Amino acid sequence: MAKKEFSFNQAVNEIEKILSNIESGELDVDKLSVEVKRAAELIRQCQKKLRSTEDEINSIFRDLV
Amino acid sequence: MNEKMSLTELQMVIRDSLYLALPDLYWIVAEISEIKENFAGHCYLELVEKLPGDQNIRARARGIIWSNRYRFLKSLFENMAGESLRAGIRVLIRVKIEYHEIYGLSLVINDIDPAYTIGEMAVRRQQILKRLGEEGVIEMNKELEFPIIPQRIAVVSSKNAAGYSDFMKHLTENAFGYVFRTSLFEAPMQGADTEAGVINALEMIASQAEHFDLVAIIRGGGSQTDLSWFDNYNIAYFVTQFPLPVITGIGHEKDMSVTDMVAFRALKTPTAVADFVVECMNSAENHLLEMSEEIIRLSRSTIDSAKLRIDSCRVKLIPVARMMLSELKGQLSGTIIELINIGKEYIVRAGLLPASQRSRLAAACKASVTTRNSVLLRHSQSLSKSLSAFMNLKFSKLESLEKSIRFLDPVNVLKRGYTITSMNGKIITIAGSLRKGDTIETMFSDGTIGSKVLKESGETQ
Repeated sequence: MAKKEFSFNQAVNEIEKILSNIESGELDVDKLSVEVKRAAELIRQCQKKLRSTEDEINSIFRDLV
Repeated sequence: MNEKMSLTELQMVIRDSLYLALPDLYWIVAEISEIKENFAGHCYLELVEKLPGDQNIRARARGIIWSNRYRFLKSLFENMAGESLRAGIRVLIRVKIEYHEIYGLSLVINDIDPAYTIGEMAVRRQQILKRLGEEGVIEMNKELEFPIIPQRIAVVSSKNAAGYSDFMKHLTENAFGYVFRTSLFEAPMQGADTEAGVINALEMIASQAEHFDLVAIIRGGGSQTDLSWFDNYNIAYFVTQFPLPVITGIGHEKDMSVTDMVAFRALKTPTAVADFVVECMNSAENHLLEMSEEIIRLSRSTIDSAKLRIDSCRVKLIPVARMMLSELKGQLSGTIIELINIGKEYIVRAGLLPASQRSRLAAACKASVTTRNSVLLRHSQSLSKSLSAFMNLKFSKLESLEKSIRFLDPVNVLKRGYTITSMNGKIITIAGSLRKGDTIETMFSDGTIGSKVLKESGETQ
């Protein structure tokens, strides 16, 4: 299994981390938009994964990840 | 021993003796070792008895259920026990002893007590569970981490099983549009080959476990099927040791098989398994959406609190700023006043400067004018002087001229004896111009007389 495959779990973990970062209130407003954008992108990728076959996913994320 | 009996006679003696000795119906316990239904609907069984832990047969007898009775007993048993009458189960049956001169001894079954088999199976299940419990493996599959998105499913089923197509339909037509990848590993779902087939399928999956998220063991539902094939120690043990979570949907409404009990999750039907994995996907997505909403909410509140901070700073800042402004204004107006004053002073000073210069200019002008005036005056004086001198000179000249003129005046001349002749007002100075007979006038100093020319000049008298 190639390491470059998109991992739903890793993505969810990252989203959770971003969420807890925002939750902690320690994130300044400047970094906020970067983090939120990253989270939105991950969520989009995760939702895509739920609706794609493995091969589709691999071809989609091969260039991305 | 003179009397000889025919075989038929003997068989009849046996039959009569049997009927005499065993006239009633008897409840007996036996294991079905073979069972088949013939074309007429009669059921023929082989009944055996083994001792626990021993495969050797201690007793064997032929059993028959006549078709009219079989139809009733079959459905009664299946409905009650959730199990069909099959080889391998132990049954409590009520039998009548029959003896046929051709076929020999038969036990004609006219009743069956499903409760015995249920209890028997429960005991067997308990024994398997006890063994698995002693080995400490019952919870092992349940303790596996369940995949967040069970998208790659290894299916253990039989292609023809009604449950399999239901399962696939529910998966592919899920309401959320989730995509699954399934691989079917075929195995018989009932009968004596079930154990070997299912274990073989599981072994194949295990060898490529990294390609799958979970295993679904499914088969068509309903009470018509045989649950007890999965009350099997070897299958159950294999499931407990399996590296992936195993979900069962082996179709039993009332009871659970041992395999169900050790699986990660036991569901009643294949469609329930499909719905379960779809639900897992959906809850993963809901988790995503919840996080997304939470991120949005927290981001908003972060931004709002930042705004609030800015606002409170502004609110605090305004009076301070106003104070600073008014202070600055005061300072500024002081400076302005100062500046004006200084300006005024400068202006005054500046005014003074031109004033003095003006007066200097005026003075200079005056002086210049005065000088000019005096020069003019001097000039005019000298002019008038020289003019009067000039005039005097001219006057004296005139006087002398007048004297001489006066001296030359004809009157004076006339006085001295000269006269002036004129004709028609014209002075005649040449005598020759006069003709005889002309009237001439002769002016004397004291008056004029008229005369006529008598003789012309040159004319002899």
